[in-house]
Amino acid sequence: MANAFVAAFEILSFGAIIVLIVLGLGIIASMMGIFNFAQGEFVLLGAYITYLAYAKGMPIWTGMVAAPFVVGALGFVLEALIIRRFYAAPIVAMLGTYALGLIIRESVRGLIGGFYLTVPEPIGGSIDLGAMHISAWRFTIIVITLLVMAGCYLLLSRTSFGLRMRATLENPSLARASGISTPLMYGATFAFGSALAGLAGALIVPVFSLYADLGLRFLIQGFVAVMVGGVGSFIGPVAGAGVIGTLSAALPWVMAPVVADVLVFVLAIVFIKFRPQGLIAGKGV
Amino acid sequence: MPNSMGAVKQAIPAEIGGEADAVMGSSGAAAQAVAGRKILPIVEGVVLVAALLVPLVLQDYLTVFATRVIILALFALSFDLVWGYAGIMSFGQALFFGSAGYGVALLARDLDITNIFLVLPAGTLIGLTFALLLGGFLLLGRHPSSVIFVSLGTLTGSYAADRLARGWYYLGGQNGIPSIAPMTLSGYEFSEGPPFYYLVLGILVVVYLLCRFLVRSQFGLALAGLRENEQRIAFFGYKVQHLKAIIFAIGGAVAGLAGSLYAFHEGFVWPNMVGVVVSTQVVLYVLFGGSGTLIGAVIGAVIVEGVSFWLSDNYRDIWPIILGLLLLLVILFRPLGLISFVLGERERVGSFGAKAKQKVKEKRNAAP
Repeated sequence: MANAFVAAFEILSFGAIIVLIVLGLGIIASMMGIFNFAQGEFVLLGAYITYLAYAKGMPIWTGMVAAPFVVGALGFVLEALIIRRFYAAPIVAMLGTYALGLIIRESVRGLIGGFYLTVPEPIGGSIDLGAMHISAWRFTIIVITLLVMAGCYLLLSRTSFGLRMRATLENPSLARASGISTPLMYGATFAFGSALAGLAGALIVPVFSLYADLGLRFLIQGFVAVMVGGVGSFIGPVAGAGVIGTLSAALPWVMAPVVADVLVFVLAIVFIKFRPQGLIAGKGV
Repeated sequence: MPNSMGAVKQAIPAEIGGEADAVMGSSGAAAQAVAGRKILPIVEGVVLVAALLVPLVLQDYLTVFATRVIILALFALSFDLVWGYAGIMSFGQALFFGSAGYGVALLARDLDITNIFLVLPAGTLIGLTFALLLGGFLLLGRHPSSVIFVSLGTLTGSYAADRLARGWYYLGGQNGIPSIAPMTLSGYEFSEGPPFYYLVLGILVVVYLLCRFLVRSQFGLALAGLRENEQRIAFFGYKVQHLKAIIFAIGGAVAGLAGSLYAFHEGFVWPNMVGVVVSTQVVLYVLFGGSGTLIGAVIGAVIVEGVSFWLSDNYRDIWPIILGLLLLLVILFRPLGLISFVLGERERVGSFGAKAKQKVKEKRNAAP
């Protein structure tokens, strides 16, 4: 019983981490039609900023608060300078963002060297539930993920900003004709997606420690999750991330980890092949 | 101007060269077409002569390096066929390269088969098979697949193969398969050095010529059309998905050949060889050199590898950053790669079919 509970918690917390990482990726892919290969590096940057704050002796949470703003600002600048040129060509956008990611990743690698740097958990210890102990920080990640998900959903569905964003996605020329500044909306969307990646990186760095290939590890999982969930809505990628995250964490409990690792990807690709519109089709929030 | 081009096109129906001319007319390269005769064969000749002379002027350890570059150029050729000519973004080309490498390494390790006439066809076949399977699955089917799906599917395939190779004890896990026996030809062992170099160069030239024939044939014309406007080619009655699957399989076979050569040249294979790192590396070569020209892929591989070899002594850390910046600049400002500095648009598109050249000549004579 206790074991099953611990397993369930592990699966849930990994699922939450994947959801957190995919949120930004999914928003950019759905709202702008760009599969951002630099997203993993935005995660890495968020993690690096948190590490910097820790290394400078500041409280870790200051780094975690700063990370989404810094990465979001960077995303805004990059969108205005570079990403903007790629909207017409999704493949070129992949290559361009890949180049961006390469630059960021190698810069961080140069800054931290080839090391694995650990950052302590801001909320350490464990939560005791009778005989069972669960990591307090992983629990916090789950809670924050839920809050961020709810926040994003409300932002997109209930605010005028979200409405303008969706209008720009749905029909850019009509949105322009209605007085919405679509370039600004694209910039804001990209910055928002980047900020979410920065937040994800800041939150997961105590769990995974900081190394240059941190983001790369999640990037492909993230892409697969977005495709499984379905591009074009906010809910789709989140649902896909939940499925992929849960599967990747759950399968190793029942079979050899190597097989499980590969099986998740194979299953996902087969699923997408036969249901290209994803789990949740159709537009909406 | 567009009208006159249309008239030309109607005047010579069913002429293959005319199609390309009409395409060219829109980009306004008419002056170039008259003034600039063939630059491509000159570039190709220069590269070939340089490649032939390399072992004579370089020290031995540099010849070993040059051999590796030639193998990677062959690999780049495979990606260029798929992306540059058919417009299929394969982010998983290393899957075929690496699986062939692993395949021949296993042949050498477990069955003691190192005969060149067995291992190279075997590697090619492995690459072809994997490409047929993956390409068939991703590309064929009732619903045509989106470009995004194909590129992410190949990327995922490569990543999954990497993970599998890392975790599978039979394939050596993280360390891969070390110390593969050298390739043999009836008692002669191909070890690193000039003979291996010339062997690889010979194979590259043969494959290059085959590819050149392929992309200048009717099939190549259909592929170019596919790349430029897939829907239109489908309306003409071509089975678009089949064309894509065929070129994807051919690309996989070439990558497999390169992979088996690479495995024997380096003497070991390791998981990175099937993974995302090598997959993206080959994308870099082709984008730098110029996709859509075969020689561009070769030049790109030589430049990227050469410069990184040269810089890595002193600037190992910042070289990948420079590479990323250069790549970004190329994508933004030179989407056709470095070759486009010397090669006009007209020549890049070229003419198709066996008689195309002759007909173009006739038309040129008749024009005034």
